[in-house]
Amino acid sequence: MNFIPLFVIVPLGAAFLMPVVSRLWKGMSDVLGNLAALFLMVWSFAALQMGHETTVFYAGGWEPVASIPIGIAMVMDGLTVFMLIIINVIGFAVTLYSVNYMNHYTDKAKYYTLFLLMMAGLNGVVLAGDLFNLFVFLEISAIASYSLVAFGIGSEELEASFKYQILGGTASTLILMGIAFFYHMTGTLNLADASTVIQQLGTHPGIIFVSILFLVGFSLKAALIPFHAWLPDAHPSAPAPISAMLSGVVIKVLGVYALIRIFFNVFGITAMPSVLTIFIVLGSVSMVAGAFLAISQSDFKRMLAYSSISQIGYVLFALGLGTPLGILGAMFHLINHAAFKSLLFLNSGAVVYRTNTRDLDQLGGISQKMPVTGITSLLGSLSISGLPPFGGFWSKLIIIMAAVESGHFALAGVAVFTSIVTLAYYMKLQKEAFYGALKASFGKLKEAPFLMSLSVILLAIVVTGMGLLLIPEFKSVILDPAVKIISGGLNYSKLVLGG
Amino acid sequence: MILFILAILLFLIGLYGVLVKRNLIKMIIGLMIMEYAVNLIFTLVGYRSGGTAPIVTDSISSVLYVDPLPQALVLTAIVIGLGTTALAVSFAVRIFEKYDTFDVRKIRKLRG
Amino acid sequence: MNPLLYPIVIPFIAGLLLYVIPRRVKGIHEAAALLVSAGTFGLTVWLFLQKPMEWTTQNSLILRLDDLSAFILLAAGLFGFLIALYSVIYMKDRNQRSMYYGSLLLTLGATCGALMSNHLILLLIFWGFLGITLYLLIQSGGDGAAPAAKKSLIIVGGSDALLLLGIVFIYSLTGTFEMDKILLSFNNGLVTWVFVLLALSAFAKAGSLPLHTWIPDMAMHTPIPATALMPAALDKLLGIYLLGRMVLNLFQMTGAMNLFLMIVGAVTIITAVMMALVQHDLRKLLAYHAVSQVGYMVLGIGTGTVIGIAGGLFHMLNNTLYKTCLFLTGGSVKYRTGSTDLDELGGLARFMPMTFLSFIFAALAISGIPPLNGFVSKWMVYQGLVELGREGDKLWVVWLLAAMFGSGLTLASFMKLTHTVFLGDSAKRAGRKIKEVGFIMWLPTVILAVLCVLFGVFAIQVPLKHFIIPAMGSDIEYIGSWSPGLATVMILIGIGIGFLIYLAGNLKGIREADSFIGGEELDSETRVTGTGFYNTIREMGMFSRIYRWAEDKWFDVYDLGNHLFSGIGGVLSKAHTGVLNLYVFWFVFGLIVLLIVLMGGSL
Repeated sequence: MNFIPLFVIVPLGAAFLMPVVSRLWKGMSDVLGNLAALFLMVWSFAALQMGHETTVFYAGGWEPVASIPIGIAMVMDGLTVFMLIIINVIGFAVTLYSVNYMNHYTDKAKYYTLFLLMMAGLNGVVLAGDLFNLFVFLEISAIASYSLVAFGIGSEELEASFKYQILGGTASTLILMGIAFFYHMTGTLNLADASTVIQQLGTHPGIIFVSILFLVGFSLKAALIPFHAWLPDAHPSAPAPISAMLSGVVIKVLGVYALIRIFFNVFGITAMPSVLTIFIVLGSVSMVAGAFLAISQSDFKRMLAYSSISQIGYVLFALGLGTPLGILGAMFHLINHAAFKSLLFLNSGAVVYRTNTRDLDQLGGISQKMPVTGITSLLGSLSISGLPPFGGFWSKLIIIMAAVESGHFALAGVAVFTSIVTLAYYMKLQKEAFYGALKASFGKLKEAPFLMSLSVILLAIVVTGMGLLLIPEFKSVILDPAVKIISGGLNYSKLVLGG
Repeated sequence: MILFILAILLFLIGLYGVLVKRNLIKMIIGLMIMEYAVNLIFTLVGYRSGGTAPIVTDSISSVLYVDPLPQALVLTAIVIGLGTTALAVSFAVRIFEKYDTFDVRKIRKLRG
Repeated sequence: MNPLLYPIVIPFIAGLLLYVIPRRVKGIHEAAALLVSAGTFGLTVWLFLQKPMEWTTQNSLILRLDDLSAFILLAAGLFGFLIALYSVIYMKDRNQRSMYYGSLLLTLGATCGALMSNHLILLLIFWGFLGITLYLLIQSGGDGAAPAAKKSLIIVGGSDALLLLGIVFIYSLTGTFEMDKILLSFNNGLVTWVFVLLALSAFAKAGSLPLHTWIPDMAMHTPIPATALMPAALDKLLGIYLLGRMVLNLFQMTGAMNLFLMIVGAVTIITAVMMALVQHDLRKLLAYHAVSQVGYMVLGIGTGTVIGIAGGLFHMLNNTLYKTCLFLTGGSVKYRTGSTDLDELGGLARFMPMTFLSFIFAALAISGIPPLNGFVSKWMVYQGLVELGREGDKLWVVWLLAAMFGSGLTLASFMKLTHTVFLGDSAKRAGRKIKEVGFIMWLPTVILAVLCVLFGVFAIQVPLKHFIIPAMGSDIEYIGSWSPGLATVMILIGIGIGFLIYLAGNLKGIREADSFIGGEELDSETRVTGTGFYNTIREMGMFSRIYRWAEDKWFDVYDLGNHLFSGIGGVLSKAHTGVLNLYVFWFVFGLIVLLIVLMGGSL
């Protein structure tokens, strides 16, 4: 048995088992959910060993005929492994956290079902070797996340989820239309195969049209301004573990990963340099406007949500530079952001769990009563603000170096400026929520339950030590293969199809 | 070609619905129209003028048959569309219970 | 392990351990902090004697101890130890002891690291890390400190981002991060940017205009030894160290850049001292002086003359001595009286003689009274300005006047401080039984005061010869005929004569009388404090408006930025009306724009 499909089969199977086993014993859903997530995390680390070379799995044994793939392919290469690690590590931290947190809500089994479906979709997206499967998995995780956002069924949750659905649905139809035209142009949906066809076609207006459809569709999933409007509603309204998952993982997988795969590996970025400029423009607009929007928020989670827009802007900006250093910065920032944004959202959940509010004006001084939450959120805030020696500092350093290296001096200044604004609003967050005088009503506050604390402590350790990823021994295992695949560009098709 | 243009026109009608209509249900209908337009486009992509159904029979004589792949994909897409639509409609009903309206201008607790 | 790593690694490990040890465990924090800081001080002395030293790994020169960094390192070690010693008593009943001592040691380690780094990225890491420890030290001041901590980290951390950009620019210009290989000349517009970015970062650390505003705010809420440690001593050393490094090693200075520095320096001197003059709180007053004094250092370094730069560096060293001493004596006052409000203090000299003596020497030193150290370094800065004039600079008189005027106002405000706190009538609050602070607390202040005197009297023989001149790399040509030894003798004779006159005049004994106002006896409620006299300045026509603006934070970069950013954010946030159609419109708008942009090219 090839071990690639297990990334999809295990969560999918667990999701369908969930309603059954939860009838046997109530605690069973926790156990099953966590076992599945733990398995996925371990499995993704096991996949690291394969990250150096591209491995292809053909479903049903439909091997390619004369180098033309005819079956459904699952491709695992450096970039995929990198994304798998992000998805499954954060996924495990989130399931661990959910054990206590989701006691707030009524039906845990349904929650885990939806959550595991989302995981299956996310793992599927990064493994998909053809465009249509990518779309199907994307829709699976999107539908699961629509439902998860509304899991509390309060009026705000429903509203947020509905907006998310309409905007997400519009984007999905655009992507599907893109796929239709893409198939029309190339006659294949396999990414590697299509890549060779497109190279022969050259810059065809049809290809450009398709690329616009994909660009817009996936930019919405990545929540780049001006396609971002669903995010500040959906991410705060979701239950905290889901917010962590959405901000930490989903926007990256459905948005950034898909953009990278399609534009760098399939279309070939050298063929359409204007896309790089668009990445830079969208990235820097999101970066700056997201930061400004975040600074004026008084809602804990909404501020974090706008911050996600801003940080994804950094990633896209760095990608748009197109140089290997820029790509390294983008990937490093991606993994950093996954860690600290999930951490911060889980912290916000702990605050909400104990205080029942996320309004910064009503909070204050709670790190006296909740030291673990306070300290871990401080670590997360310092890291995302780019203060040394945390991971965020290194990724911002690399991004700015890449910007200067490629001659974008002014934009490097913009990135630095944004990081100052980022520092400002995270300090505001710390001051308003965790420091200052303790509000009288919080006199009997307790630290978050054990598993929630454990989960945030694990993430805080990851956040603090993330700078170590730059040490050559780790870099060559995790970051370099991903960067190699992206900057390798059109080599992708050779790697997948062989020869 | 004319069929493509008509399908894209249909897509734009759907987009108009989502863009302009204030009623939640009408917006969902707009979204559905967009989906169907895209499904139509997809089917058109696979169509070969004068082609036969892509069924393997013993008496296969014509090489010209319509591309079967888009049809398979459209079926999947329809199912996905069904899922999203069902979810959206059920949420619309829930929203009506909470807000007592389908008017999207009044459903805006989340802003800023 | 290379010995250069010891003063970095040891405090770091100890500091991190102290965070973990719970505060219920008594005594261990103090003992560890004292031991480690004493050890670090010993190490810095040893390293100073061993200099120059280097640590190369993987073909790049990572750490380097040269003449400039060695003496600053020595000073940092001294202050770390003295302040740890002082804190033992001062902080003993505080809740946040493990955070305080942990941060103190981390600060010490990071400072040593920043001073010895030859690799710019390493410098950046230590530099930025100091922002975090500063934040934690301020937070150890308790609940009220949160806004000040936020503001300090935003300004200091924000300036780190500027430093980062500057360093990246340097890398793109030279292709190396190693400071010893960098020499930039202003032949490229980018170099000016680099200079300004690095200078701003140094200004924020040292607390010079326009990035000084965190110091007065944090001084109000932070435990006083922490104020003495960071903005008064270590941050000042670091900021001026970076500025000195830039001027001496990294850049080939030009007139325009020197002018930039001198403007900043002169404006800092005057504005900060004007603010200090009208303060009603001991800590705030000292904090504004901490800012004002930076002006002299920047001005001296900005002259671009050897003696001016040497004067600036020497002033940095002197300033840390007397300013730390002043803050610590202020801390002793707070410790015994529980207040630093000038209106509530008075007449402490007779209760706290050792504190008073240390204070008076430090106050005279900061006011530039010969033969104390403050005078010598100011005198060197003046000489630098005069030399600038001899080289043909037209504006030298302006700078000189600004510096001298600032010096006068410093004296004025310290007369006020000395009078209201230590002399004059006892205030009600001070009327309680006040004792001198314990030996452990007054010892550091006395050591510093003695150093102030020694560095003044033996300026040329000791500090200049061993610390400053080696760092300059060239010898100083003194133009004024100032000989500290002779001057001291003269002054001592003068004081002796004055004392004789005093004795002669008072042989009959003095008569103490009650104060009268219009025939009424003045009770202790309406006593005259020194602050009252200085309110006149505040109420003078032109100044009153400026002071009001300053108090409304119109000159504060932080508040201006805050208003601006929140304003922009507010407008953007208003655009998110919550109506779904609008969001769909944005989406379609983006689609159309992209279609036009991308398809427009191909059609």
